[in-house]
Amino acid sequence: MDTFLQILNRHSEAFLKGITVTVQLALIIWGSGIVIGTLLGILSAKYKRCIGIPTRIITFILSGIPVLVYLYWAHYPMQSILGVVINPFLTAAIVLSTINIFSVSEQIRTHLIDFPEQYRIAAKVCGLSQKTTVYRIQLPIILRQVIPSLLTQQVIMLHSTLFASLISVEEIFRVAQRVNSLEYKPIHIYTALALLFLIICLPVNGLAIWLRERFTRNLSET
Amino acid sequence: MLTGLDIKKSFGSTEVLKDVNIQVKPGRISVLIGPSGSGKTTLIRALALLDFPDSGEIAFDGHTYKFPLNDNQVIEPPWPDLTVVFQQHFLWPHLTLRKNILLPLSKKTDSHHTVDDLIKIFQMEDFIDRYPNEVSIGQRQRAALARAFALEPKYILLDEITSALDVEQTGAVIRHLLTLRDQGIGLLVVTHLLAFARELVAKDEGDHIYFLDNGKILGSGGLEFFENPGSERAKQFISSMDYWTGNNKVS
Repeated sequence: MDTFLQILNRHSEAFLKGITVTVQLALIIWGSGIVIGTLLGILSAKYKRCIGIPTRIITFILSGIPVLVYLYWAHYPMQSILGVVINPFLTAAIVLSTINIFSVSEQIRTHLIDFPEQYRIAAKVCGLSQKTTVYRIQLPIILRQVIPSLLTQQVIMLHSTLFASLISVEEIFRVAQRVNSLEYKPIHIYTALALLFLIICLPVNGLAIWLRERFTRNLSET
Repeated sequence: MLTGLDIKKSFGSTEVLKDVNIQVKPGRISVLIGPSGSGKTTLIRALALLDFPDSGEIAFDGHTYKFPLNDNQVIEPPWPDLTVVFQQHFLWPHLTLRKNILLPLSKKTDSHHTVDDLIKIFQMEDFIDRYPNEVSIGQRQRAALARAFALEPKYILLDEITSALDVEQTGAVIRHLLTLRDQGIGLLVVTHLLAFARELVAKDEGDHIYFLDNGKILGSGGLEFFENPGSERAKQFISSMDYWTGNNKVS
């Protein structure tokens, strides 16, 4: 009976390729989500009408569409309507990045808008400059509140990369399915896949929990 | 001197302050008493230039701020020479109590001695390195007071600062306020505790009490104000407060 290591050995090239594609996809989604999402969130909070309202409307609409439907729609009907053929990897990267960007921007916007005014007032009457108030009061409080939820969001986005397999992206789940159709060892293959995701996601989730317990404060009590 | 002249402030159609006149002199304690919703906190915020009045004047040591401001007029409020201790403390939650006190002093090199003294005066040694959400409300209140006192301001506006303190701690606060007054600092103390108000103004004839009701100053004076409040409303308010404290002096 083949062990998983023997299966892995036979299909090492395919697994390596699959992991590489998943990691590339995740890095694009995380990077764009955190960088563009944070900027969009800050701009949405600052320019409430011209950027904030359209951003909120898009986020609201996106939140009502399942990721899979959005991905399929972008891969099949949209490309058919536009008469173009886009690489599935690119389609998945754009769709999942868009979802991440708007989710992150909404979280940042909410934390900025909900920032308790009393901390700014206390800084004012204590004579702190605007710069000191931003760097020593506002940013540390907002980051402590927002980072745990951002990390959890990034884990969810990593899980969402599996949907890319359904539009023919050769990421790790699709590779696992293909290997399983050749070897028919679902217990070995899918258990290994689950372990792989656990190894990546558990530390991130653990970090989010640790940060939340260590740094997030109950702002209503102070 | 910190002076509010003909201060008016409305929120929507509700007129909260109606031509209020008030003075806080250096080296003197002014006590502002009045029922809930009378406009005490609004007045403090206006005097501290946190919320600009709709009309009137606020003068601070030679600078006069006239309201409403002209278009594009920018004013530089005199913080922290004029500072405020809020009823809700407003401590920064990501900093320990010690860091809450020290952060505004980062440029003052000679203030650490004052901070150590304040920690002793308000008996904060046991919890000074905890975060605000790890201590009691009374302990937070003491830290908020220490943060303001450490700034060594010229004027301090204190809004219901004894609401979470026990008798012993209130005594320590009174003693420290009297010391600050003797050092030349002007204090405006908002309170609904008449015993606390009496204790503050009993020590010096220059101290002053203001009674604010429904956005208007309905009476003011020195310690004699408690015996002769002037308006019927002030008399009624003091009587009801004395009823609860068992100090029934006003007939």
